[in-house]
Amino acid sequence: MLSPLVKDIELFLNDKPSIYALRKKAKDALLKSGFPSSKTEEWKYTNVQQIIQTNYQIDTTNQICSHHCCDHLPTQDFIEIHFCNGKIHLEEIKTPPGLNIIPLPIVLYENEYKNYIFNSFDLEKHPFAALNGIYLEQGLCIHAEKDFHSSTPILIKYKFDNCDNQQLNIHNLFILEKNAQLNIIEDFSTTNTSNFTNTVNEIYLKASAHLEHYKKLSESPNGIHIALNGVKVHEKAFYKQFYFSEGTQISRQETIVNLEQKEAQAEIYSAYKATRQTLTDITTNINHIIEQTYSSQYAKAVLEDDSSATFQGKIYIAPNAVKSSGTQLHKALYLGKTATLNCKPELEIYADDVKCSHGASSGELDKEQIFYLQSRGIDKKEALKILTTAHLEELFSFISNPKIKNLFSK
Amino acid sequence: MSETLLKIENLYAGVGNKEILKGLNLTINKGEVHALMGLNGAGKSSLSFVLSGKQGYEVTSGSITFKGKDLLSLSTEERAQAGLFLSMQTPTEIPGVVFSNFLKQSLNSIRKAKGENELDTINFIKALRLEANKLGISTDMLKRFVNVGFSGGEKKRFETLQIALLKPDFCILDEIDSGLDIDALKTVAESINTLKNPNNAFLIITHYQRLLSYIIPDVVHIFADGRIIKTGDKSLALELEKKGYTEFLNHKEP
Repeated sequence: MLSPLVKDIELFLNDKPSIYALRKKAKDALLKSGFPSSKTEEWKYTNVQQIIQTNYQIDTTNQICSHHCCDHLPTQDFIEIHFCNGKIHLEEIKTPPGLNIIPLPIVLYENEYKNYIFNSFDLEKHPFAALNGIYLEQGLCIHAEKDFHSSTPILIKYKFDNCDNQQLNIHNLFILEKNAQLNIIEDFSTTNTSNFTNTVNEIYLKASAHLEHYKKLSESPNGIHIALNGVKVHEKAFYKQFYFSEGTQISRQETIVNLEQKEAQAEIYSAYKATRQTLTDITTNINHIIEQTYSSQYAKAVLEDDSSATFQGKIYIAPNAVKSSGTQLHKALYLGKTATLNCKPELEIYADDVKCSHGASSGELDKEQIFYLQSRGIDKKEALKILTTAHLEELFSFISNPKIKNLFSK
Repeated sequence: MSETLLKIENLYAGVGNKEILKGLNLTINKGEVHALMGLNGAGKSSLSFVLSGKQGYEVTSGSITFKGKDLLSLSTEERAQAGLFLSMQTPTEIPGVVFSNFLKQSLNSIRKAKGENELDTINFIKALRLEANKLGISTDMLKRFVNVGFSGGEKKRFETLQIALLKPDFCILDEIDSGLDIDALKTVAESINTLKNPNNAFLIITHYQRLLSYIIPDVVHIFADGRIIKTGDKSLALELEKKGYTEFLNHKEP
């Protein structure tokens, strides 16, 4: 057997041949590639053996959550969608015209978005995304029609209250048609469960579309979180990702961006606090496929004692991607002497006349700054807290919407 | 006679193996302004760091009593909470920390240590506006990061704002005149003069007599070789300006 993670279970719509075929395609890909080992280059710093060998259960009793306990009051600030223990919470979501939010089971049933599934990444190269595909059932599709603009962000809240030892596979589609604009926030805040969350977002931005995609991850110290964002960006479209994580036992956020047409652009900001005995992995793969495409990545980290972190940032520039630019910067702050950081920039450049750069810096807290705060009556512990927050603050300043910023600074 | 605020007796201190203070004696009473003058590298700033308990500065012998308590047994933050304030020669820049947030945390730490209620945001802003207006400081600047992108004059004015807000009993002003043009110097000096009262005291560390034309000291000390070699009234500063340090260094008192 490959792993106790792969189970032969009956899922919703297994009797529908097209859905069964998608799940089988994912399973075949995983059987072919296998799970990563310490010898797999992309995973060599993140040991997943513990995950692979755990017999995480899957709850197939319901396709949706219909408990009243998950009901919430509507807010003016966000369009809120809730996932409760991995199942979408069924309620009426009021959306403005031009914006469609559809639960994945319905998307699958209707076949309408079939071409967007497994199209933004290669199943054989992403074993956990393939695992997610085997259980393709939970998730949602957010579809913004042509020219749709909204100042109200969509907030997807994932709550995990009662799912110890479960694997939760969530598969979302974010599709922005030509010239559409949207802000999407994903908020993962587990209380204290030891579940394994495995999410895939497939993101498609048509010409001149603009998506700001925020994610906050502050799961339980016993939680495992593996996530993949596959993004395709068309002409003059813009993808901005802002990721904040802290406190999850093992977390890996991988982002693949394909800049497929001229003047496609991506900016990726990552801020993370690697707390004690956690492993944080941020892996990016930016593909400049065509000329005049632009990307920038900026990550800032705070590393506590006994934490480990990995930042692997790859920029690929195809032979015909001339006049493109790709930059990458990682700045780490060490709070102790026993933290480990593996910082691996990779630039693969096959075109002339491009601008590419990468940089990494690391340091400790400035003793003069600590002294200045202490000399104003602030105790040392509080001074350290102020200064570590300040280190990440620069990245928060890139969040322009004050309501979203407020969510992240809490 | 007025009450003693700070008493330093036969103090020896240094950094690593280097001895910087060599038998320093100094007594400062409430309501007094003292000036400490000396050459570059004489150890004047080191004295200010020893007083505020900076890491790396070790006292080998002697004592410092502040408001009747053993100052040396306190941590840096406890000294600040007890009413000691050090305005550094170059106030530290802290990117990412907003000035008003920093001031609120500082004020509340001190109030808490004194057993007073911590101020909520509204009352804090009121208190801050009141003091900033008195000193003619624009509150817009308080939204900026601590000392980041401030001119020399602005940094020093914000130090005076901190004194106004935190109301320490004893302030060490380490070269508060450095990097200031004459107009900025006057403004900062005027601020200090308004903050003076019978219950607090100032120790002004400077090279030049110029600052002392604006803040009139009660006592002037000449500092050399790790201790005070001569003490006098404000005329000593003028005499020093005229004769230069060399004259005094060659005629050390025993």
